[in-house]
Amino acid sequence: MDDLLADFVAETREMLEASTGEIVAWEADPADRARLDTIFRFVHTVKGNCGFFDFPRLAALSHAAEDALADCRAGRREPDSALVSVVLAIIDRIVAMVDAIEAGEQFPEGGDDELIAALQPGAEAPALPHAPASALLDDFNPETGETTLAKRAEPVAAQRSIRLPVDLLDRVMSGVSDMVLARNDLAHRLRQAGTQPTIDGPFERLTTILADVRDAITRMRMQRIETLFSAVPRLVRDLSSELGKQVMVDLEGGDVELDREMIETIRDPITHIIRNAIDHGIEKPGERLANGKREIGMLSIAARQSGNTISIVISDDGRGLDEERIAAKAISTGLITADQRAQMSREAILQLIFQPGFSTAETVSNVSGRGVGLDVVRENLERVGGSIKVSSSNHVGTLFTLQIPLTLSIIAGLTVEVSDQRFAIPQSYVEEIIHASAKALDFTRVGETALVTFRGVRVPCLMLTDVLGLPTGDLADGQHIMVMLRLASGDLFALAVDRIHSHGDIVVKPLAPAVMRTGLYAGSSLLDDGRPVLLLDVTNIAATHDLVSDAKSRVLRAFEEDDESAAAEVQRAMLFTHFDGRRCAIRLELVQRIETAPASALDLSGSTSRAVIEGEILPVVGLPDGPVPAEKIRLLRLTDGACELLHAVREVDDAALLEGALEPEPNDPLVEAVTLVDGQTVALLDGHELFARHSKPAEAAAKPVCRLPDSDWARSILAPLVASAGYKVASDADNHEDVAIWFDDEYEAAAALDVEFRSPVIRLRDAPEAPDAAETIYRYDRDGLIRALRQARKTMGAR
Amino acid sequence: MDDLLVMAQIAGRRCALHAHDVQSVIEIAAVTPIPRAPDFIAGITAMRSQALTVIDCRRALGFDPDHWATDNRAIVVSISGYSYALLIDAIEDITSGMGQPEEIPGGFGPEWSRVATGLIETRVGPALLIDVAALIAGPDPIGAAA
Repeated sequence: MDDLLADFVAETREMLEASTGEIVAWEADPADRARLDTIFRFVHTVKGNCGFFDFPRLAALSHAAEDALADCRAGRREPDSALVSVVLAIIDRIVAMVDAIEAGEQFPEGGDDELIAALQPGAEAPALPHAPASALLDDFNPETGETTLAKRAEPVAAQRSIRLPVDLLDRVMSGVSDMVLARNDLAHRLRQAGTQPTIDGPFERLTTILADVRDAITRMRMQRIETLFSAVPRLVRDLSSELGKQVMVDLEGGDVELDREMIETIRDPITHIIRNAIDHGIEKPGERLANGKREIGMLSIAARQSGNTISIVISDDGRGLDEERIAAKAISTGLITADQRAQMSREAILQLIFQPGFSTAETVSNVSGRGVGLDVVRENLERVGGSIKVSSSNHVGTLFTLQIPLTLSIIAGLTVEVSDQRFAIPQSYVEEIIHASAKALDFTRVGETALVTFRGVRVPCLMLTDVLGLPTGDLADGQHIMVMLRLASGDLFALAVDRIHSHGDIVVKPLAPAVMRTGLYAGSSLLDDGRPVLLLDVTNIAATHDLVSDAKSRVLRAFEEDDESAAAEVQRAMLFTHFDGRRCAIRLELVQRIETAPASALDLSGSTSRAVIEGEILPVVGLPDGPVPAEKIRLLRLTDGACELLHAVREVDDAALLEGALEPEPNDPLVEAVTLVDGQTVALLDGHELFARHSKPAEAAAKPVCRLPDSDWARSILAPLVASAGYKVASDADNHEDVAIWFDDEYEAAAALDVEFRSPVIRLRDAPEAPDAAETIYRYDRDGLIRALRQARKTMGAR
Repeated sequence: MDDLLVMAQIAGRRCALHAHDVQSVIEIAAVTPIPRAPDFIAGITAMRSQALTVIDCRRALGFDPDHWATDNRAIVVSISGYSYALLIDAIEDITSGMGQPEEIPGGFGPEWSRVATGLIETRVGPALLIDVAALIAGPDPIGAAA
């Protein structure tokens, strides 16, 4: 809540700062329409924002000013100097109130009604405490944009920060990219020259440092869109309860990262659209039920990143946009003529809602007002080179698609190959990668169109060679790799490629306009070896092949999917061949992923076998007796939600639907049932028994607690180590600990004061050399520390 | 206008580019072709961490590049924020221009007129002064603008 409030204060200030010049200019010329619009937007936004908080006075003031200004905009009233004075006095008061809100003070009562009354046409100008507009901006420092904020915010310990021009960040960023390439070049040459221990060591260090720097620089600019999304549920809740509607919100793609700057730019537009969707789009529960809809409205926001653009799709299943009303309104306001109307497609008419001064709302509510939102939304997006589109079906829903460009971004990309050329695909689109020979995929050609079956649904398939006009490789149909891509609109299609290469972070650079016009590429990037690679524009490729559905079918489909999942839980299982040759299956929900580990990663000593996967030790089941029969071994990584275990398999076959009857198998406790898949018997493993037998007890509950010394070093350096050793780091809330780590000097001081130690203590010393007879560990002796922590854990277990 | 000019051979003719348009001259190594791009765009190539769009100037003018050998060097220019590598026959020299570019009665021929600012006298003789932005627009600027 405090964050929201701080945002509100900051935003109000920012807007005022931006409109400083406008206010002064408006005072000089009240008839100036452009200035009027700016000030109108200011009060409108203040009104909209304070609607979420309980600021009735602010809301009343801004609403009154907005009404008066709206009259001026509509030409019902001529702005005169008296009106200007009152409006400025109101803005003045809004600023003072915002200051009071921030300082947590009570703003003195009274005076609001006089101001509001003075707004009425013909009202006598009261003796206003109005100073010229410029005076109200006195405590603005135009150079920094800081207001008295800094003074008032003093009690809060602020995170240290500085402002930097983005240009500078860009320069550093491209410098680091160059360094990475120089490093790769050097690595190549070093490999050619053979091993040289004196050089390899420092080179490794250089590599590590460079990776760190690159990471840090990237993060400097990037922020997850989650930061924006996090405020949405609250916003939706408040709005829907205010309007007496029921709305469920569904957020997707919160891990998409984009420029901090860009997040700030799209914050307002998205808020506006959400507000409109709930106010105008989604109907009241009664009306929804009458129309055969579920009474809870769905609002979904999905973000996807593709090369230089991020697309954000905001869709609701409300009443949709009314083409006729929009057209009628546009004609009546002179936006278009009746003749033009006759020639316009529905699509084109819907886009009119982004025109300035447009609104079809019959009642002006407190929440979203006179259509001021959407033209500002479009303006804001276009200013940063983005775009917005709307599609809608009557009584089915509305879908806004925002495209926001990123001139410089780093995304996770998958490198694929066709006809000996490599291309990159943004990882965020990739749903799954399947070899086309997999039986379940059922690759077929219907006419000229290729189809595959994915999770029981026929999905169109594009051959990348056809899309790009490249010669078809020597791979026969059905020998390709299928990359299943899901678009931001929810549509799914398969892209057939020859080979998959690596995936990793790629730095996306813009392409020349002539190349962008092909509509196939979203940008370019450089591979590790310095060769350029083109990034495919998945959305556009899908659109040119008519694979993107409109809003209607999307919303309908969402319903269907819901119904399906409610009707029948489709049971699916992963088929594999056990080391003893049995064909087995395990429920797919349990399988997290398939790992391949070298035999050396297995530890067969002890009662349970274990394997090290990515630094984690996990129990392994399903291994044959005796030595591991292969150098590399396939492991199914299973999870029950809390803990994980690995199941070794000879061969992973395929995923399959469990359609046949399940015959219980009473003799083998590890087998839940036997069933038929493709006419062959398959033993379905009992997940419950498997986890009951082999999993470690759920770690979260049993994690021992370790208290750390209170210092930065402990928090940032020691804590991760302790956590990786299987401990929970004690927070202030934890009033007990299983083991404590102390700095030796502090320990001795405490011991001298006869402090009672409630738990075993590990003492750390600063010097590498051990002083005599002290049970201390050098603070950077990693092995020693881990040994001590393990020891503590064991004695704990013994207690 | 006594500024410096980069002299180059394009499609067998001597051409001049303003030196301040030219960022550098590079040796073209591997070019990654761009499927479905206009054919005067040879592909993209890497210069340090930058990706350059390689324009085959002979094709951009509407000639067949096979008629002229190239020494695989390219002129790097930057137009409205994008960097291009202009693949030409050969780089000749850097010299200074004398006087203003001039129109010639009868023009320079249909291919050349589109990209030429005019005839410029230089210390090594007359040359065609090239408008780089027009050159990278390709042989079919109407289609390209669409």
